[in-house]
Amino acid sequence: MNVTPTNPRGPRGVEVVPELSLTRLSRPRKAWGRLSWIGFGLALALVSTPPAVGAPPAPTGAPPAAPKAEEKKPAVVPFELLASNHMVVRARVNGAGPFRLIFDLGAPITLLSPKASELSGVIKKGSARPMLFGARGEERVRSLKVGELTATDLPVVVMDHPTLRVLGGLLGRPLDGIIGFTFFARYKTTIDYAAREMTFEPVEFELPDLLKDLPARLAGPKVARRLVLAPGALFGLAVAEAADNPGAGVSVSAVAPGSPAEAAGLKPGDLLTTLDGRWTTSVTDAYAAAATLAPGHPVEAVVVRDGKERSLTVTPVEGF
Amino acid sequence: MADAQIEQRPWRHRAGLGTGLALVLATALAAAPEDGPKPEAPRDPDVGRAYRVPYRLTATNHFLVRLRVNGKGPFNFLVDTGAPAIFVSTEAAKKAGLKADPEAFWTTVGRLDVEGGAVLRDVKVRVEDPYQLVGMNALGLPGASIDGLLGFTALARFRIELDPTKDRMTWTRLAFNPPDPPAPRRNPGARPPAELQAMNALGGVAKFAAVLIGRQPEDVLLPRGSLGMELDDAANGVRVARVLPGSPAAKAGVRDGDQLVRVNGRPVGSAKEARKAAASVRPGDVVGLSLRGAGDQAERSCDVTAGEGF
Repeated sequence: MNVTPTNPRGPRGVEVVPELSLTRLSRPRKAWGRLSWIGFGLALALVSTPPAVGAPPAPTGAPPAAPKAEEKKPAVVPFELLASNHMVVRARVNGAGPFRLIFDLGAPITLLSPKASELSGVIKKGSARPMLFGARGEERVRSLKVGELTATDLPVVVMDHPTLRVLGGLLGRPLDGIIGFTFFARYKTTIDYAAREMTFEPVEFELPDLLKDLPARLAGPKVARRLVLAPGALFGLAVAEAADNPGAGVSVSAVAPGSPAEAAGLKPGDLLTTLDGRWTTSVTDAYAAAATLAPGHPVEAVVVRDGKERSLTVTPVEGF
Repeated sequence: MADAQIEQRPWRHRAGLGTGLALVLATALAAAPEDGPKPEAPRDPDVGRAYRVPYRLTATNHFLVRLRVNGKGPFNFLVDTGAPAIFVSTEAAKKAGLKADPEAFWTTVGRLDVEGGAVLRDVKVRVEDPYQLVGMNALGLPGASIDGLLGFTALARFRIELDPTKDRMTWTRLAFNPPDPPAPRRNPGARPPAELQAMNALGGVAKFAAVLIGRQPEDVLLPRGSLGMELDDAANGVRVARVLPGSPAAKAGVRDGDQLVRVNGRPVGSAKEARKAAASVRPGDVVGLSLRGAGDQAERSCDVTAGEGF
């Protein structure tokens, strides 16, 4: 996988954050890429163990976790809500099962218990020496079917997760794993607790590779990246930190005559609190918000003037 | 049938898995059942409203959203369906002026604002430092200290739509109010099972590892500089549609109607390309423009010193 960000590199070693990419602001760093707290122990084990055991295979050519859009229409997956308020889905792994997996937006990886992994042929019985928490490193699942949805070639971490074991024991029914980011990042995921169902629509999203960059990161220099936040359009506005109102917004320090900002009614001295639904709590925040906007699209700017909140509509133009 | 029995004991076994939420699980075990579900709050006028919630994906593939707690903040919260409730770090609670009653397990927050517009009122939170927050913060994720976990009692009020290719989630308010978390049966200080203590110890390991490998440095985020020119795409290339009066471009002699040929030596074929060519310009930088006046054959160059603003 090519880990070089697609962002153009500017002069002086400055990386540019183009518009609409802010959610991935921290992504290219990949320092602890996909290291979960589950994965963290695993990572330590990998680092302290020769890579012969459990280390993911060296990637050859194509990214191993390239998005797979197997299904074209939204797939509905019902879930069971446990007494502990966790969502559980029934999944067939490589045709075996069903297994009971927790669906967890907070889990960066997909995890399968050693037992379920053996039953589904993900690992051979006694094939690898367990490490910390019975972790055996990353394996791949040929197919994982939940409801109407089948995901193929999915990376999983085989691990006997203590929390999962305790929870399964408390609830009186075993839990076989966790469905996490590596699965749901392939889809637009909708969770409806009231209807007790999820829907998945495939999207093209490139997944970073688990643990791959860790050794390099450990050895590499620890230099802060310099990122320039490039607004996506021209407003004609300058902002400064609001010394008397930290965290509330930024102070409008200048409005260019004839600019979209002036046309919208922004005035110097206004406290800009929100731009297109994003909080502008600092100058950096304001640029981050502006970086997601495009020319020609009207957006809401919320300002506080004379202690009163006002909602203004500003339509930025192409330019810089 | 087993499920049905479990369903009848809500809140008995409260657990968290999310980011490996063993401590949450330990906390959860202290939670006792109450006498049936509480009556639902009056219908929320926000039901049916959809909010576009900006989020950030960390280097560890965790989704962060920003919250204001009683108007203070913003604070970074992990979106975690594996957490049974809302957890606020002790430091964030202190900053927000949240006073945790030492006798009560849960603390009521009058108002919780989610960036994007959603508001939760009178919600119960647990003021605590789950180890994964301590550990992750020790490692210093880029630009993202984590102040809490947004779990089931917050998330279940919304239909949550998450598309990793978009920069926002969509949260639609449901006519569903999860029951308030119950008061704990046992002393919150009771020792969790040995395995959970082992998991909790990972927080300490993370801190130790952070000492060895060094805390990851924060990204330095810098504003781009501005020249104050409005551009549009013309038949023969990029046209300066308008120069804002008093702007750096105006001072340097850029005129309305000029054709913009190159930015810092880079040929630009569209307004978007021109903007990208200047994407890393910082205030104070000198930007070399190649321009051709309306009707002129010859190019002229113009050095513009970028100013502040956008």
